[in-house]
Amino acid sequence: MIRSPIARDALIAVAAILVLAVLPLVFPGQAFSDFVIRLSAFAIFATSLNLLIGYGGMVSFGHGLFYGLGAYSFALLLQKGGISVPAAFALTVTIGGAVAAVIGAICIRLKEIYFSFLTLAFQMLLYSLIIAWTPLTGGDQGLTGGVPRPPFLGIRLDDPQHLYLFCCVVLVVSLFLMRHIVESPFGYTLRMVRDNPRRVGFLGVQAWRIRLLAFVVAGIFGSIGGTLMSLYVSSAYPDFAYWTISGEGVFMILLGGIGVFLGPLVGATLLLLLSDTVTRLTEYFGLVLGVVILCFALGLRKGLLGFALDAWAKRGGAGRSAPRPAVTAGKD
Amino acid sequence: MFDTKGTIRQRRNFIKAAGALTGAAGLGVPFISRAQNKPIRIGVPTILSGRVAQLGISSRNAISMEAEKFNAAGGLGGRKIEIITRDSKGKPDEAANNTRQLINSEGCEIIISAESSAGAFAVQEVIRELKVLCIHTNSETSSLSADPKIRVPTAFRTARQGIHDAIVSASYAGSVAKAKGLKTWMSCSPDYAYGRDNTSLFLEYLKRFHPEVELVGEAWPKLFQPDYTENITKILQAKPQALYSALWAGDLVSFVDQASIYGLFMQTSLFAINMADYTTLTAVKNLPAGIHSATRYIKTFPASSDNAAWADSYKAEYGDYPTNWSWENALAVGFLVSAMRKTKSTDATKLAGALRGMKIKSPFGADGTITMRAEDQTTIGYALGWGMTIPKEPYVPNVTPGDWKTILEYETEWKKKMGYA
Amino acid sequence: MDFEALLSCFSSPSCVITQTTGGLISGMLLFLVAAGLSLIFGTLKVVNFMHGSLYMLGAYFAYTVYALSGNYALAVAGAALGVGLFALIFERLLMSRVYGSDVLLQLLVCYGVILILDDAVKIIWGAQFLSMGMPPAFQRPPLFIAGGVLPVFYLFLIVITLLVAAGLGFLIAGTRIGKIVRAAAINPTMTSALGINTAVVFGGVFALGGLLAGLAGALAVPVRSLVSGMGFSILIESFIVTVIGGMGSVAGALVGALLIGLVRSFGTIGFPLFTDGLMFLFMTAVLIVRPSGLFGKEG
Repeated sequence: MIRSPIARDALIAVAAILVLAVLPLVFPGQAFSDFVIRLSAFAIFATSLNLLIGYGGMVSFGHGLFYGLGAYSFALLLQKGGISVPAAFALTVTIGGAVAAVIGAICIRLKEIYFSFLTLAFQMLLYSLIIAWTPLTGGDQGLTGGVPRPPFLGIRLDDPQHLYLFCCVVLVVSLFLMRHIVESPFGYTLRMVRDNPRRVGFLGVQAWRIRLLAFVVAGIFGSIGGTLMSLYVSSAYPDFAYWTISGEGVFMILLGGIGVFLGPLVGATLLLLLSDTVTRLTEYFGLVLGVVILCFALGLRKGLLGFALDAWAKRGGAGRSAPRPAVTAGKD
Repeated sequence: MFDTKGTIRQRRNFIKAAGALTGAAGLGVPFISRAQNKPIRIGVPTILSGRVAQLGISSRNAISMEAEKFNAAGGLGGRKIEIITRDSKGKPDEAANNTRQLINSEGCEIIISAESSAGAFAVQEVIRELKVLCIHTNSETSSLSADPKIRVPTAFRTARQGIHDAIVSASYAGSVAKAKGLKTWMSCSPDYAYGRDNTSLFLEYLKRFHPEVELVGEAWPKLFQPDYTENITKILQAKPQALYSALWAGDLVSFVDQASIYGLFMQTSLFAINMADYTTLTAVKNLPAGIHSATRYIKTFPASSDNAAWADSYKAEYGDYPTNWSWENALAVGFLVSAMRKTKSTDATKLAGALRGMKIKSPFGADGTITMRAEDQTTIGYALGWGMTIPKEPYVPNVTPGDWKTILEYETEWKKKMGYA
Repeated sequence: MDFEALLSCFSSPSCVITQTTGGLISGMLLFLVAAGLSLIFGTLKVVNFMHGSLYMLGAYFAYTVYALSGNYALAVAGAALGVGLFALIFERLLMSRVYGSDVLLQLLVCYGVILILDDAVKIIWGAQFLSMGMPPAFQRPPLFIAGGVLPVFYLFLIVITLLVAAGLGFLIAGTRIGKIVRAAAINPTMTSALGINTAVVFGGVFALGGLLAGLAGALAVPVRSLVSGMGFSILIESFIVTVIGGMGSVAGALVGALLIGLVRSFGTIGFPLFTDGLMFLFMTAVLIVRPSGLFGKEG
């Protein structure tokens, strides 16, 4: 019986949602669902960033722009706009895509490190704007007063259980969609643009269009990650647009494995677990995290998942080994 | 397919088990009687790293000292306070997350929110949802308690309030300005919510108390900005007779050091609301004479033996003098302890009911007492004043105390104007 | 936005002088840090993201040496050399392993070191902010130049920095060592084939960059308060400077630093609440028009 990859992935997605829905019965108490909600925001963000870094070879230092933009747009639309949750969501996605199109068009003209710097510059511009535009954004305090969630289709997002399920579904659907994009002809063209842009030109494909499209898709999903976080904290904070978010995204990708689709998800899980455990045990969080980072950067370069897949492959497993870490485009 | 979920679940279970064992070992109490003498876990989300680490450290010190006294006196029917702190590193979303974890995973029944003002708003949203008793101890932003949209029934505040400080500052500055003919003023405060609110309120009320005052310019350095040259030269250009600044801690020290070498204070009187804090006073190496400051915390104001004794025992235990944050946190524990003894419970609703309108004796009270106002759940009657600083102990020899009648009058008017009342 | 104030400042000579010298002052320290960053990138093709931590270490070393000896000159020298040595060790032990790797790995190694150093500083010197105060030699009234004010200490700072800039320029363009460094930057393999130990060259350049950053930190101590994490803001600014000036160009770092100093200085008058944003806007504009920076080389 031949199953198409899409159908197989769809089945996995449904199964994942069902498992996630049942897990709170195994781990009662809000701590578990809080963890999964935070994880969903970060996992979507990190996976969207990997579209650029891993699959596109475009090292963006400013992806946090979309995370912050998504959080603020969504929260503001609900708080000050008073519209419904689906409408706010749709609008946020549109805004994220539009901004990504404009900024992407400017940034992708630059190569390598200068592309990275320009994306960072744009992100810090947004951050400065958020801090300065206090009447709208609340400035450095963020949005105070909470984010209202009017019920829609019988879903009440101020009920912790509904919120948990909502985040699980958004997570799985987003991963499914991104997976589908990555495994589509567009995704393979993107990989080709990453590895051999000249050849792509000879085949009649315009590399910049592919890169721009990837940037927009990544921006949209980055914004979605931001919306989930704004629901979790019932606000939006300037930190969401600070460069450290981009740094954390990069770290999650490297922790989990840059060449594996689910790598960022694993990386996000690990980083959150590490963060929570260490914060509980010591106030010298930086010291511990720094040492861990060094171990990974100098030792486990393919990330945990990549390392594990390699080990699996060596034991004569399904023949799948982790691809080599992506090389930045144009660096010959 | 690689079984990521399995390993993760295993790891999480292991961590849970390890955590439980550590917890049990940490309590050091025989397993059987744990149920009866279950500790009262108080969660303290705060900032323990980065530039504002001193906030968390001095807060935690004060809480621990007061908790020890309570525990030594037998606690609440044998139940002793256990403090659990979490570092948010100054990020509000981490503050929210830490608070949730303290309540959900660590079983904290009470939260003492020793966060910065941004963090306090984040904690407030968690308290709104989880309805646990919370006392904010470091956030001075008035809207946290004054704005009914932000207020939450189980959240209280024992920190000084921006509007109170503004009224006292303006009243003092107004009389000094009248006496010394200081007509032209400028401000130099950090560009973030606290700096802006504090400064604009001060300037507004200064004009009320002394209408001849003229504002000739404003400088807005960024928070934690290391180099104030451009702000100092801007001030020098405008040559104001007086300068108001809400800069604090390391920033204030840098600013005073840098401005001194420009000779700024030879022509301009400095009114620095945050100068009279022991950490800051002892850090400025060549403190220029004649700086006016509010009393953040000085052991000689109020000039009572209780206050001096508290400062000395804090110093004996921790090696440094207490900060403004220290007394605010000590006050919170004071209120909590009274409420717990009165209601003989740690239930949020009961404690909240007891706290509303409660008046306790306190070494930090202007008249020896402090009241937790019922209508907006924040404290009034604490000692605050202004004076001129000298470079050695007692640092502020003569303090002009704020008059609470005046403060409350103007505060009521302000609330009506803001639409809060 | 306060265009009126800005225009009135431009039309007043004393304002122009004071703000310009103010801009120079901010720019000078920035130049020292940015020059090191630029050199390291130009020669080693590596972005040293932890450069701000070297500045921080320089400040703390200077503070300690001054506290022990009471001699500021000794403190400055000690800090510069100490940080240079530290940078060398860091380069040999950690950074050299990620040459040629993805910039992400380099970023990560540096980020890890920043985290460790910030906490290490907190453990060794404490979490509280420290202040050294002005050394007695500089406790004099400021100079008055054509209506503008210039504190004696800042004059000292400008002179030292200009000397260093001149020294660096001479070192790179005029000496054999400079030629070797430039050769190693253009073609390390060939240089190595010619019998020159590129490891020594790379280590040396990194140490020099560290020395410059440490020197900047030591020079800043009399007018700054020290705290863990203080390297961060100067890192961001020196980044902007190197990007604007062109990665790899010391002259570019000087021009960039002065430009940023002036943008801040006049920007505070015209755009008091958006001065940071102004810097990023400037950086964005330069990147769009001249992606390699003002003095940078293409590719």
